[in-house]
Amino acid sequence: MRQVHALGVDLKDGMHARGANSAVRRLRRLLAVDGVILADLDGPVVSHGKKPNSEEVDSLLGQVFEYGGGARGDLPNGTAVYVSPLAVADELSGALVAVGDPVEADVDAAASLVSDYLDHAALRRVRSRIAAADLRTLRAQISPHFVHNSLAVISALVHTDPDRARHLLSDFADYLRYGFSEKGDYATVSDELEAVQTYLELQRARFHDRLDITVRMAPEVLPVAIPFLVVQPIVENAVRHGLERKEGRGHVSVSGFGEGPLCVIEIEDDGIGMHPDLARSLLAGTGPEPRSVGLANVDQRLRAVYGPEYGLVIETALGEGTKVTVRVPRFTRGVVAQ
Amino acid sequence: MTSVVAIGLVLVTSLFIGIYGVRAARSTSDFLVASRRVSPNWNALAIAGEYLSAASVLGLAGLLLKNGLGTMWYAVGFTAGYVAVVALVAGPMRRSGAYTVPDFAEYRLGAPRLRKLCGCVVLVIMLLYLVPQFKGAGVVLSLVSGTPYWVGVVLAGLVVSGSIAAGGMRAATYVQAFHYVVKLIFIAVPAIYLVVHAGPETRAEALHPEWGTHFPQNTSVEFTVETRFSLDEPVTVTDVSGTEVGLPAGEHTVSEGTEYVFPEGAPIPHPEGLPELGSDRWSTPLLDVGGYPLFETWSTMLAITLGCMGLPHVIMRFHTSPTAHVARRVAVGVIALLGVFYLFPVVYGLLGRVLTPQLVLFQGTDTVAVVLPSHAVSGSIGTLLTALVAAGAFGAFLSTSSGLLLALAGGLSHDLFQGSVPRLRLAVVVGTCVSVMLALPAQMTDINMLVVWAFTVAASTFCPLLVLGIWWRRLTLPGAASGLIVGAVTATGAVGWSILFPAPEGWVTVLLGQPAAWTIPLAFFTMMIVSRFTRTPEWAEHAVLRLHSP
Repeated sequence: MRQVHALGVDLKDGMHARGANSAVRRLRRLLAVDGVILADLDGPVVSHGKKPNSEEVDSLLGQVFEYGGGARGDLPNGTAVYVSPLAVADELSGALVAVGDPVEADVDAAASLVSDYLDHAALRRVRSRIAAADLRTLRAQISPHFVHNSLAVISALVHTDPDRARHLLSDFADYLRYGFSEKGDYATVSDELEAVQTYLELQRARFHDRLDITVRMAPEVLPVAIPFLVVQPIVENAVRHGLERKEGRGHVSVSGFGEGPLCVIEIEDDGIGMHPDLARSLLAGTGPEPRSVGLANVDQRLRAVYGPEYGLVIETALGEGTKVTVRVPRFTRGVVAQ
Repeated sequence: MTSVVAIGLVLVTSLFIGIYGVRAARSTSDFLVASRRVSPNWNALAIAGEYLSAASVLGLAGLLLKNGLGTMWYAVGFTAGYVAVVALVAGPMRRSGAYTVPDFAEYRLGAPRLRKLCGCVVLVIMLLYLVPQFKGAGVVLSLVSGTPYWVGVVLAGLVVSGSIAAGGMRAATYVQAFHYVVKLIFIAVPAIYLVVHAGPETRAEALHPEWGTHFPQNTSVEFTVETRFSLDEPVTVTDVSGTEVGLPAGEHTVSEGTEYVFPEGAPIPHPEGLPELGSDRWSTPLLDVGGYPLFETWSTMLAITLGCMGLPHVIMRFHTSPTAHVARRVAVGVIALLGVFYLFPVVYGLLGRVLTPQLVLFQGTDTVAVVLPSHAVSGSIGTLLTALVAAGAFGAFLSTSSGLLLALAGGLSHDLFQGSVPRLRLAVVVGTCVSVMLALPAQMTDINMLVVWAFTVAASTFCPLLVLGIWWRRLTLPGAASGLIVGAVTATGAVGWSILFPAPEGWVTVLLGQPAAWTIPLAFFTMMIVSRFTRTPEWAEHAVLRLHSP
């Protein structure tokens, strides 16, 4: 069982990755044969042990790829060879070659196991592509609504308060630049805070200053690298869903501090809050469409980067405001702000 | 009582700064202020504040009184350590983005198992460093409140873990900077006052140890441990019942609990195994415990200077600097701040030899800084000065031990087990409990000895790891791991052996008591030789390059 499991680990990045060498070694031991070759549609990729010359292998592979099913052949020196096709997601994508008196049923079973692992590897790649695409969505998600509102507010102020209008316009430019930037996946807490600041400045103008803001940041956490656009979507969520529909003044507070090896960022608003079930479904990505993308995406990316225990924590109740806590390690291998 | 109030004030103020001191901004324009990084000056103050521990405030003065002028080397080493940090690790460490030494090990060699090993070493160093802090706090608290030593230690444990639990380290930079100021003022003001108040005769005597040491007034000495001492000339002392006891010249053994009153002007007895106060051995500016002063001094200096860069709580502070260049500037600032501070423990030690020499008779030298003001100045000013020093010493304990405990808890929860917040809090409690337990039997051990032990272990483990990791691209995982193990085992074992089983003077004692001179090279060579025989990971080039590219 352990060998089978280890085979899965070896093949987790596919047939062309580094683990493939130890995977064929393991397969040879499992099948108790003289040699094993893993091939894709272009020919052999990795092999271990006894290896027939390439024409013989190519002819057998061609036979398998053309007619499907396994193919048995004998080498000139009398050694038996069996080739079993690999089907990833029901599509022929390679073959497993066993050299030296193989048991056909065993090789077929091994081939289907390898196919499954390769399938998983492909899924894993797709999943990380989706996460990247989600991030792009989030970047592009600076909503037309927000752009329209911001520009409307600025244009309203141009005559009455040209100075402020000018400031807001440059804030707007900064915000767009940060949101559209292609600079990599991580930013420092301090960069992220600047984006939040420009966003809130624009929202305040729209709210006619009935939005109060408190920031408390321990300087230790400012240089910490965190995934790009983690704080800003949470603040945006607080403003749009917590405070927009609230009567009277609203208050958002953003605070950050160190907790041993962890960096903690809390975003709190005193808005209308939400039902805890709704919060749960938002994180699961099953909430009402326009709201769910932001928080669920942030949560997913945090988990993907730091591991399952570092997701978002939402504390909320109807009418009680909302508090979202981001808690990440200060240092994680590979997480570096550009 | 005044001292208790002063300690309470320091505690409350630092809690307040820790919880609320995080810059609060009320408008968006302040947002930019809040997101700006901390200035190098604040950072230097914070590092100095965290670094100046009970060892610096109490231990240094105490050891100076006990072992002689050579002790000043410790102050030199504690400060010079930062030169090594600036030159070798501050900048690259900042570029790696690593927050702790285990982080760095993972960054450089990419192995979670090495991380665990580093976590274990962090644990050892931090415990060795925490025990003397708790001892210092226990001594101070029991002195000012009149409670037994163990009450003081337990109280200190409760206070420090309580303050961390209450969030007292959230704004660590500001708390630690505040503590540096507290320490400097509370130690410097009484010291300056004492120097001025002491008068020309005492000052001259303090600067001329060769004049010999006598009791400055009728002095009651309570021998809290069995003590063997010798007298050069006969002295008549008074015991508790008021009867006079004649002590002839020569060797004496006094049992635990005896109380004698020595008359004014009587010569100070010489406790066995210690350099005679004011003798050549006392006033030679070299560390001399085992009879080979030059070697001992070199070995200790190596341990302290190189150990500084291996102390986990020192390294993580450079993370706050925005660039490697600023990190170096911060370290230079720290050197200046430490240099100023270390002038004052020397004052307490030198004046202590003249004014409170009896402390050497019952292992009480660690208390000299707190005891001295009330002996030298009578009345309410004396009480006030004692309160200041006690509060300063307690501040030193609080800042260093909170930093250490958090580093220890971080290592425990993050490196050794998969971290979560409840675990972190649990780890703080566990760390405090273990330190308190270990500090209880350490009452008779000098603070500075334990601190140097911690430095020796750091110098024999993390110093080679960091230096080779940063400057030598061929370091490999097996090399680093074997060097760490060899360094940790030899350094911990040698010093531990010499503390548990004191042996007579001689080379073996010296080599075991001050092992840095051989354990550090041993760790370096182990890492290099094992690395030669193992394969360098392919990303090593890239990892080292990033440490050095601007």
